[in-house]
Amino acid sequence: MSRPPIVRIEDRSILAMGGGGFTMEPNNPLLDDYVLSLTRRTEPRILFLPTASGDTSAQINSFKARFAHRTCVAEHVSLFRMRETPRPLEELIFEQDIIYVGGGSMRNLLAIWQAHGLDKLLIEAWKSGIVLAGLSAGAMCWFGAGVTRSSGPPEVLAGLGLLEGSLTVHADGEPERLPVWLAAVRSGELPGGWALDDGVGLLFRGKHLERTVSSRPGAGAQRVDAIAGELVRTRLEPELLLGEGPSKALGGLDEAVEELRRVHRLRRGMGRGRN
Amino acid sequence: MERDGTLLDDYVLSLVDAARPRVCFLPTASGDADHYVVRFYRRFSPGCEASHVSLFRRDQGTGGVEDDLATHLLSQDLIYVGGGNVLSMLGAWRAHGLDAILRKAWRRGIVLCGPSAGSLCWFEQALSAFHGDPRPVRGLGLLPYSNCVHYDAEPARRAEYHRAVADGMRGGFAADDGVALHFRGTRLEHVVSSRPDGSAYEVQSHGGKVAEKRLEVRYLGAPAPVKPERAGSALGCAAHTPARAAQEPVAA
Repeated sequence: MSRPPIVRIEDRSILAMGGGGFTMEPNNPLLDDYVLSLTRRTEPRILFLPTASGDTSAQINSFKARFAHRTCVAEHVSLFRMRETPRPLEELIFEQDIIYVGGGSMRNLLAIWQAHGLDKLLIEAWKSGIVLAGLSAGAMCWFGAGVTRSSGPPEVLAGLGLLEGSLTVHADGEPERLPVWLAAVRSGELPGGWALDDGVGLLFRGKHLERTVSSRPGAGAQRVDAIAGELVRTRLEPELLLGEGPSKALGGLDEAVEELRRVHRLRRGMGRGRN
Repeated sequence: MERDGTLLDDYVLSLVDAARPRVCFLPTASGDADHYVVRFYRRFSPGCEASHVSLFRRDQGTGGVEDDLATHLLSQDLIYVGGGNVLSMLGAWRAHGLDAILRKAWRRGIVLCGPSAGSLCWFEQALSAFHGDPRPVRGLGLLPYSNCVHYDAEPARRAEYHRAVADGMRGGFAADDGVALHFRGTRLEHVVSSRPDGSAYEVQSHGGKVAEKRLEVRYLGAPAPVKPERAGSALGCAAHTPARAAQEPVAA
């Protein structure tokens, strides 16, 4: 199939979340609505990759619960039960507007993507302007490196390197990662980077950090660099999300979404029977 | 772990020379699906020292195994690999060094077995269905053949396997659901089945022309005239049970 054209670097977007979204905040849709607002499409196509969890039904069900009644076309891809999506990965990836990666084992995530050639497809997706979003393992994977607990104790692990620097997640919820990361940055093993609390998201346009947002009051983030062997820590003040985007229209949303989907289905000539 | 019987599980346990065998389950190919782990313990914990290794829950201390993975796996009598997606499984194994540990286990005479993806993985090449068309996958290579499972379950499998072998995939063995290929060292020693009508085949290419030879299959449900010999020799022994029960994760 033909690939979408490559876009300018400033038109490539990644939202990296320290934790939060539908798997961690079932009653708080702010970050997920923010994810949907990152494309210009009225009805974006969003694909969930639950690979890092081993494609648990719990994550897939939370995804469906969150996005089924929002203005989007939501689907997931399982790399364990592939008969659920019997289409070539390439075809599926490049028709998306947003790819959302769940949390779990960062080590397994990257190894399994590589086994299926999905790592290369996701890099191409980013270059073609498809928004990449994710939390925890699904956030660290885009950076030069992260701190994972995939084998038990926290340890440093290289990511795909689309974003420069390192990232550590759950800075408030799983505090044992932070000292491992700080020590690795101080020693020069890792480049400087960001530590994010649960509920905080960093929006990158190209490689540039454009916004720091949060779904919870009090959640924070810091930028840490090693300068001459000393750690320099800068606190970032996230903007608290206020439900911009789809959640504003909560009254009567379902009906409007259904109407829009009917129109789209008609226009696509029923497409491939996605709904 | 077929839902409708224990014939293949009983067969593989008969290969182990231990009163209470140590059996470890690797459910990686299913994404460590809880229901599969539960099914394993239901089947094996009554007669065995049963354990499992999860590569997805190691951070929560619920990986099943507290020891070092190598120490644990190399102390087993039998390692049982569950079905699911063979590519995802091999990727996760490599990331945790399990590929090297399992090769060592085989050389030490620990019996290796599994259905579907748990069969494909031991061979040099395997035919696996992905999103879209099936294609050859490189396995651990303990057995210098190719392997194709669910040979009877999916109408296109036979033609796909023949085509792959004609196109340069190495020759090998195909098994219907419920049929197990038992290798001792790298030699196929027995073919056994939990179903009266289960078949297995050797498929080879001779100058681009593919030939399929039907193998002799022993139905395990009939009164068994021969008791399989014990393992535990210096030679590695890999028993394979490419069987799929109705609701087991499907290979591929």
